[in-house]
Amino acid sequence: MSSIAFAWRSLVRQPGRAALGVLGVAAVGALLFNMLLLSRGLVVSLADQLDRVGFDVRVTTGEGLSIAGGSITGASDVVTMLSSLPEVEAVASPRIENGWALWPGRRVPVTLVGSSPGRQSGWRLVEGQDLHEADGALPPVVVSRSVLSNSTPDAAISGTSATGAIGIGSTVMLRGDCLDERSALPPIEFEVVGVAEFPFDGGSNRTAATAPHHLAQICGDVDADEADFLLVASRPAYGPQVTARAVADAVPELYAFSNQELVDQFQQVGFSYFRQISTVLATVTLFFGFLLISTLLTVSVNQRVAEIATMRAMGFRRRRIVTDLAFESAMLVGAGGLLALPLGGVLALILDDILRSMPGFPPELHFFVYQHRAVGLHVGLLAVTAVLAAVYPARLATRLPIAGTLRDEVVS
Amino acid sequence: MSGPTVEARGVSKTFPMPAGPVTALRDVTLDIHPGEHVAITGPSGCGKSTLLHVLGCVEPPSAGRLQFDGRDVARLTDAERSRIRLERIGFVFQRFFLLPMLTARENIELPLGECGVGKATRLERSAELLEYVGLAHRADHRPPQLSGGEMQRVAIARALANRPPLLLADEPTGELDERTGRQVADLLDLVHADGNTVVVVTHDRTIAGRAGRRLCMHDGGLVDGDSA
Repeated sequence: MSSIAFAWRSLVRQPGRAALGVLGVAAVGALLFNMLLLSRGLVVSLADQLDRVGFDVRVTTGEGLSIAGGSITGASDVVTMLSSLPEVEAVASPRIENGWALWPGRRVPVTLVGSSPGRQSGWRLVEGQDLHEADGALPPVVVSRSVLSNSTPDAAISGTSATGAIGIGSTVMLRGDCLDERSALPPIEFEVVGVAEFPFDGGSNRTAATAPHHLAQICGDVDADEADFLLVASRPAYGPQVTARAVADAVPELYAFSNQELVDQFQQVGFSYFRQISTVLATVTLFFGFLLISTLLTVSVNQRVAEIATMRAMGFRRRRIVTDLAFESAMLVGAGGLLALPLGGVLALILDDILRSMPGFPPELHFFVYQHRAVGLHVGLLAVTAVLAAVYPARLATRLPIAGTLRDEVVS
Repeated sequence: MSGPTVEARGVSKTFPMPAGPVTALRDVTLDIHPGEHVAITGPSGCGKSTLLHVLGCVEPPSAGRLQFDGRDVARLTDAERSRIRLERIGFVFQRFFLLPMLTARENIELPLGECGVGKATRLERSAELLEYVGLAHRADHRPPQLSGGEMQRVAIARALANRPPLLLADEPTGELDERTGRQVADLLDLVHADGNTVVVVTHDRTIAGRAGRRLCMHDGGLVDGDSA
């Protein structure tokens, strides 16, 4: 009888013990799987979001990750220059300001974005029209759906006129808080032409996008030619890394990062807490798994000392006894580890929903993201745990004094 | 005539104990020749089972020289002694020690599998042995479904699986009633009659009386037989 068949018989001989072992490993494995998903989940999700915007290189005034380092002045000249590079397919120069969307009796805080429509916009239109040149009527604005929602939590609503038409085709007043000093910029009237999904828009972060010159009007600085950062789409033949280097060479005073470089920096700095927490919790989880399996196998060996001594007396080698135990361990951990994957998946969905309900957290970002790498690590770590957990019981089994054990069994 | 299967010269066995070493075998000299039927008797604790374990290469002697098939057991590795036990010695225990999760047939096949015998041959050999011990109809029963006598007969079949030239039985009827014990003794006689060397440790004078050669032990030493 092969070691696999023998291990299987040993397990099913005590189905209750085997079931408890498998369930225990499944619980431990589910937690481990969650920790592995969490350790890189936010980074993977961020990378996905960055890629979805359609630009693979970011250009900023600062070396760090923050875009708050300062504005890019003379943005249109820089855009023109970068657009002429063979590596560059498209350039967008968004400007971002804080402001308000105003209706009679209703006021909603918004992030005002000034950007060109189309590919360069960085948002995804879900309803109505995108920005277009004003044809003599009101300038157009595209807003996130939450701007229009009556249930917007921090919307200040007063009077009865708040129930008036708020939606595509309606008129909205936009007022900017663009200057550091307290100012009273006059609001400007816009027509809501579309609803869009904006990347990184959170629960309390709502966006209204319009053309750059209209944002300049809102901010009262029509002569300003500024952008907070530049978004560059590389040509496929060059790729983001080469394009980022080309941009940096062309505009040495600015810093260019590919999405991957940006994600790597976040991984090292911004999200390292998740990795550290996940590593600690995964280690503790694995230790509990190790203790569980080791205890189950040790109990199993202690219950079967007479059988093991008999097998040794019959001529079974130590290696065979070790192999039997290793397979028994592998079966317990394997079955539990498989069960852990769907269990961990469900748990990850629940935990992800809880964490994403944090105020201001962008709805498109996730803490727990499925990765093949996480499944591979899960399998690998559990396999190592199974082997290590079998070491002590295997040592017990192989060092069993054959004659003494048989004599004790007869006497008892 | 070929040489002895087992040749023990001045063999002693001492076990280290917390309260001081305990000598279980003292200066035992003994030859077991092929085809012999030997019974070892003596009071409880006199060292019968220890002698059987030493002769069966389970325990190496603490002193003296033991040769199995002409090979010095003290010079063999654990793996080599395991190989001898697997291929050259069959063990029958007082408490049968069948593996409870395996059927009678699978218990018999166990040492064959460890020897690398193919499935078809294992099936053929286990069927043959079940027939030999009169339990062909119990092939697919597990030990808890068998009586004591049946379990011991399966254990004897298991011990014979690899056709070992030497069968060592430690109190094979110790757990059985008189009638069942007699059936098992008959079976051991049959095994001997078929050309196997059989060494039986027993308290039972009737069982011992069936052996061609009787050895008596006292306080770790042979007091009767060819120890002199």
